[in-house]
Amino acid sequence: MLDLAHIPAFANLRSMGDGRGVIARERRGIAVATVMARKGQSAALAAAVKEQFDINLPLGPHGSGSDAMSFLGTGPGRWLVTHDAGTPRFVDSLAQQLDSLASVVEQSDGVGLLRLSGPALLEVLAKGVAIDLSATAFPAGSVAVTQIAHMGVTLWKVDEAPTIHIAVARSMAGSFLHWLEASAAVAGLVVDS
Amino acid sequence: MRIPCPYCGSRDASEFSYSGDATLTRPAPDNADAMFDYVYLRDNPVGVHREYWYHDAGCHAWLTVTRNVSTHEVIDAVLAHDEAAS
Repeated sequence: MLDLAHIPAFANLRSMGDGRGVIARERRGIAVATVMARKGQSAALAAAVKEQFDINLPLGPHGSGSDAMSFLGTGPGRWLVTHDAGTPRFVDSLAQQLDSLASVVEQSDGVGLLRLSGPALLEVLAKGVAIDLSATAFPAGSVAVTQIAHMGVTLWKVDEAPTIHIAVARSMAGSFLHWLEASAAVAGLVVDS
Repeated sequence: MRIPCPYCGSRDASEFSYSGDATLTRPAPDNADAMFDYVYLRDNPVGVHREYWYHDAGCHAWLTVTRNVSTHEVIDAVLAHDEAAS
């Protein structure tokens, strides 16, 4: 049987320009799922997430949890869950744990994840993001579903360094990289291995 | 024009799709005359109007937006789901 090679979404991420304005690293091996509360089950879902993962389910556009596992609010009754995939078939077990409370859809191969930081990060993102990402309007823990150059992105601020995680549909990863390279080249884009 | 999404906050109108008049009620499907009026005979109101907008580049929620269509002033935006439940 033919072996299929696992090719990361951002395998072509490379440094651009001079300087260290933006530091980028692909987050690999992360399990990703969308979770949507079933009708009338929001309170029971929040209780189950608290009990099973000790995470307070965010009701607005915020993230809860840690790098190891987080629930990110992406819409009313809708979350993006990321899990550092130490647990095999994590999304299957999540679906079982939240059975009848939420619809859980596997997205691990569907999105590419980047971790972005660096002194010029906000300046570079401002070339594509039409919302205010400053510390006052978008403090650490905030999540935004929006678009960059017509590509849908989910971004969340991890800390005020600032560090921003970004999720892009895998089919858009090439185009997104093109945008990132072109936008960050003037400040210097460095790949942090 | 910016629309204050109750979930996401203030966002540019380009993130939303206009999805029709929020003052109409869909008629019973077997009432052909009423369905014809509902689908084809649109009013062209002036001033304050209520409309559905879909936040397709954001939280994917349907909003009911109260907006002055003459001045583009957005007066209010609520989740259509919440409004229907109340």
